[in-house]
Amino acid sequence: MKSLVSRLGGRRHATALGLLLLLGAVGLAQGWLGLTLLPPLAFFYAFLGVLMLLYGAMPLYTNRRLTAHYWRRTRRNRLAVAGLWFIVFLVLLAVIGPFFTQSPTRVNFPEKNLPPLGFTISQSTFDLSAGQFIAKETPGVWEHPLGTDDKGRDMLAMLVSGAGVSLQVGLLATGLAVFLGAVLGVTSAYAGGWVDNALMRFTDIMMTFPFFLLLIFIVFLYGASLTLIIVVIGLTGWTGTARLVRSEALSLRTREFVLAARALGASPARVIFRHLIPNVMSPIIVIATLSIPGIILAESALSFVGLGDPSVASWGRVLNAGQQTLDTAWWVAVEPGVLLFFTVLAFNFLGDGLRDAFDPRTEV
Amino acid sequence: MSSNSLLELQGLQKHYPVGGGLFTPLVGVVRAVDGVSFAIGEGETLGLVGESGCGKSTLGRLVLRLEHPTAGHALFRGRDIFRLQGLELKGFRRQVQMIFQDPQSSLDPRMTVGDSVGEALLIHGMQVGKERGERVEELFLKVGLEREHIHRYPHEFSGGQKQRVGIARALATSPRLLVADEPVSALDLSIQAQILNLMKDLQEDLGLSYLFIAHDLGVIRYVANRVAVMYLGKIVELSRKEEVFSFPLHPYTEALLSAALPPRAGRRRWPRILLGGEVPSPMNPPGGCPFHPRCHRAFAPCPTVVPQATEVDGRLVVCHLWG
Repeated sequence: MKSLVSRLGGRRHATALGLLLLLGAVGLAQGWLGLTLLPPLAFFYAFLGVLMLLYGAMPLYTNRRLTAHYWRRTRRNRLAVAGLWFIVFLVLLAVIGPFFTQSPTRVNFPEKNLPPLGFTISQSTFDLSAGQFIAKETPGVWEHPLGTDDKGRDMLAMLVSGAGVSLQVGLLATGLAVFLGAVLGVTSAYAGGWVDNALMRFTDIMMTFPFFLLLIFIVFLYGASLTLIIVVIGLTGWTGTARLVRSEALSLRTREFVLAARALGASPARVIFRHLIPNVMSPIIVIATLSIPGIILAESALSFVGLGDPSVASWGRVLNAGQQTLDTAWWVAVEPGVLLFFTVLAFNFLGDGLRDAFDPRTEV
Repeated sequence: MSSNSLLELQGLQKHYPVGGGLFTPLVGVVRAVDGVSFAIGEGETLGLVGESGCGKSTLGRLVLRLEHPTAGHALFRGRDIFRLQGLELKGFRRQVQMIFQDPQSSLDPRMTVGDSVGEALLIHGMQVGKERGERVEELFLKVGLEREHIHRYPHEFSGGQKQRVGIARALATSPRLLVADEPVSALDLSIQAQILNLMKDLQEDLGLSYLFIAHDLGVIRYVANRVAVMYLGKIVELSRKEEVFSFPLHPYTEALLSAALPPRAGRRRWPRILLGGEVPSPMNPPGGCPFHPRCHRAFAPCPTVVPQATEVDGRLVVCHLWG
């Protein structure tokens, strides 16, 4: 047991591998028995949670001095800090918001097309007593601070639920893509030779593949579901990470500390997990942060063209609906658009800030 | 060769193909190490000198079995190291360790230096738990570091201190032979002397053997018992240190010595010999004696006939002057 643990490169990797295998086994077993103990997305969360806890949070905790150092360097970039706070705000909104808002799917026609608080529009409504259409001044109301759409659904509730969708897609699909890319990239660099050649040519082919078309095709075949969209984005989005991680690992592979480990008789697994992966973590974190907005946008674009999951109110879908009522109710399209804009901006700023913080060339 | 030698190289060769990938044609072969034979005895320091690109470092890596040779053997205690497997290979890894040139890149920046040193013990399952910590501490003290250094990261150390950590790591498994690849050339002059003295003291205490690779003749003169001079993948001269420095046989050795600073100012024993031209490409070495285009003593047979190794007064030299 002890030798197995040390073979895997330490307790942390053994724990990670064990938990991931357990998750996989439970998943396979429930599929085989035809049960649904846990929805598929829960597996994703668990999978990502294990990886983030053991490889994200734990090193940050055990190596507090380095964490403080990077935090100091990130903090110097004000935009990055603003981005981080916006993301924290968004996460809180998505997690606790739904408990305070109305149901995002409750249709209420008498309250349709209410403008946001502070705005008043003139709307022509059919007046029953007069028996004709009359123009009526409609002010925003406190019950619907961000207004309602053309079916009387509360905009705030829809945007809050959309934040959850966007973050889920962004984090889970990115997690999957970055995990695949990192493993493939490091393996490719360490193995070298024909393995490297084969993996990188495969990456090239995947890169040239029009993934949006593939997504549309798969959604057309199997119907839209959030899980499916996340899986497809994750399985196609790893190419950039793989290339970046490979090039980083290639330069590390010839560094003397890797030679030293090999001269000590370290196994390939030990070299990969103890020496290569920890040293490519910073570019991995940066590329993950920078690829989240692209993926959030991809999901919104998919919803916008009507291929999103119809059971969830994602920002893209609200945007799509709002675009048809742009002349009567501009806020339905503008509000999710603005949120999307700032979310993408926040992740990009944070990613840029982290990249500068991790770049040893800017070390002073 | 002597029967009590720790390591014995027999016609070791390492050729690297250039090109020859999936989509590129084979352009040629770099003869990095081209038929090297010598032996290192117990407790001995063999200095290996030569210009950059002559194959010194490749030879070092071959001895550590980090590369596989194209031809030839390397016997460690009579066993061919390239045939070792499993437990025997692990045993070999424990006994032969390396000290690197660049202390900056020889330590993992994400590991505390204590973990780097302890990793050797971990891999070989040598000491467990508290004992391992004590052994790491002992090693730190042995190389002149302090107990509180153990939990720091490499970037918190100076170059000389990092090199001490590198030596502690190499000593962790109680090796018999250390391959030191330019261990001091990246350090300040004053630090160089400290590290060299440390290495000498350790050799005395622990009875270590060194394969000491350097391009600095002053350093070699200070630490080596015997000196091997390498040119384009081949050993051109091999003799005891005193003999090499007082009476070099090979013209290349002569030229190297004349380029080095005299030990005392104003006393230059030989006229200055300037080596003309560049080191020829090891992909396409000149015919005959590989040194002849730059040699100040070249004569008739040099461009055509390959010189053979000759023994002169128990010294080895590969040159037509002595053939």
